[in-house]
Amino acid sequence: MFRPYISQSLLRKLKRMTATPSPLILEKPNTSYGARKTLWDWIFPYVLVLPTLIFVFMFTLLPAVNTVIDSTLSPGRRASEPAEFVGLENYQKLFDATHFIGGRFLPILGNTLIFTLVTIAISVPLALLLALLLNRKIRGLGFWRFSIFYPTLLPLMGAASIWAFLYSDTIGLFNTILRAFGLPGVNWLGDPNMVLLSITAMNIWKQSGYFMIFYLAGLQSIPKDIYEAADLDGATVWQQLRYLTLPLLNRTTLFVLVIAITFTFQTVEQLPAMNNGNPADRGNLVLYFIFQNISERRNWGYVNAMSLVLVGILLIFTIANFVLFERRSDVE
Amino acid sequence: MLTYRKSTFASHLTTALTIVLALIWLMPLIFSILMSFRPPAEPVNQGNIFIGSEITLENYADAWAVAPWAGHYLNSIIFVLGTLAVQVFTITMAGYAFARMKFFGRDMLLILMLLQLMIPTGVLVVQNFATMRNLNLFDTHWALMMPYWGSAFGVLLMRQTFRGIPLELEEAARIDGANWLQIMRYVVVPLSIPAYVSFAIISISSHWNEYLWPAIVTRAEEVRPLTVGLNRLYQTSEVGALYGQLMAGTLFVIAPLMILFILFQRRFIESFINTGLK
Repeated sequence: MFRPYISQSLLRKLKRMTATPSPLILEKPNTSYGARKTLWDWIFPYVLVLPTLIFVFMFTLLPAVNTVIDSTLSPGRRASEPAEFVGLENYQKLFDATHFIGGRFLPILGNTLIFTLVTIAISVPLALLLALLLNRKIRGLGFWRFSIFYPTLLPLMGAASIWAFLYSDTIGLFNTILRAFGLPGVNWLGDPNMVLLSITAMNIWKQSGYFMIFYLAGLQSIPKDIYEAADLDGATVWQQLRYLTLPLLNRTTLFVLVIAITFTFQTVEQLPAMNNGNPADRGNLVLYFIFQNISERRNWGYVNAMSLVLVGILLIFTIANFVLFERRSDVE
Repeated sequence: MLTYRKSTFASHLTTALTIVLALIWLMPLIFSILMSFRPPAEPVNQGNIFIGSEITLENYADAWAVAPWAGHYLNSIIFVLGTLAVQVFTITMAGYAFARMKFFGRDMLLILMLLQLMIPTGVLVVQNFATMRNLNLFDTHWALMMPYWGSAFGVLLMRQTFRGIPLELEEAARIDGANWLQIMRYVVVPLSIPAYVSFAIISISSHWNEYLWPAIVTRAEEVRPLTVGLNRLYQTSEVGALYGQLMAGTLFVIAPLMILFILFQRRFIESFINTGLK
């Protein structure tokens, strides 16, 4: 599923364009036919915007509002029973460890946080390293870039089935190699203490190349003469990296972090091909848990409440990142 | 930047590190291809880890027989192209209106639309599933495509692109008596081809790879795309752990995009940078 994310530079652009319409438009409005604005001229812009607006309304805005509403309802077990307003009760149950949903939701939420944080803590620095390595003039650059970026283009489902083969307990590649060296095999997807790590490792492999291209773009926007000047001053490669490249990539890093968090929180399509959330939910993630309950009427309220909790967490991360970064760039 | 003026030990070291990391990253792809050519009865723990006792196409034949792949290919193509075809019209129209026209409520409508970029689409699947049921579109190609027909990302991309076109060109065409459709057809759209290509790459690759939405909103094999077909192969091969067959099936799904990517690598990477709308 493609999820574009709103970046800081985009926000700035938005602020600019909503505050003052571009002079281009003010000076030359749509009436340059020389004639007076006809009725059609008034209606035409709305006709152009309408199709997009209808679909955005139907499949983004309306469902978003409905999620909020449904999260406060307790639907009956059958379609004939009317839904009842229960306020925040569904949310309460989510965080009640003795409840049948809460008892599963809390550990799964914990899994999701670990999965996201570990993925990001490793794949973002790795993406930076890869970008630094692949921003040089080396032979076969296209091939090396392909080899890092191609996982981004695989369907998660396909990537997961490849890794299911690598991870397979008895006839998987990893265990075959381990056993060839006389080591005991690891039950990558079956061991409750291992499964989350295995899923995370696969995700790092899948996403690092995607984050890398933003760093590549960031690196290429740094003017070359800065490095020439630093060279003349006798700065070593490490000093240049520490005092020039990294600070100049701050903005890229924030952007990548925001994308990485929202992206990783919703990365669950690998689960049906790997472990279906098993064993005993130790390898389950929130969004996948939501999908597992989607068709059960009696859980509808919980499903929507969980969706909103997910949105809430994403917003907290995004805003925190934004605030932290803004403060840092003020100091500079 | 890791650039060295001379060929030093450190520069060899970074090159070596590049190669090692690249090989680690390639390893799953390489082994999935090797596995797909092994005889079905020979898992990797028997004999040579790279190549089995013979190179065979048996896995491909078996995998092809398990699921109606031709139908899945067709469904994926309908899903991807049907989505893109409508998107191209909607984003062109809305993008142009937001770029060039002044109308009451324009900025508010734009912001409303851009909310789509801020709401994680994954969580909306729950409600959209219910909508499709209510519209009686469950288990149809329409249900797969419709949620993507309004693309805020595309509208924004086209808006920026159209704004970059000199207004004089449009004026000139207008003075020559061209109407709006002609101006779009002969001036605006041809000048925006790179942006359309970018958008097409993103749209096609994300929908080709999509799994959860199709899995939720379709049930019949006649409608389901490749990724869902692959999952079925996974469910059946799990029993006998027929990984050769599973790898062959996986390659069916990933091959088209991989080939396109190898042919147009630069355009792909540029397009993906565009997803950040920087």
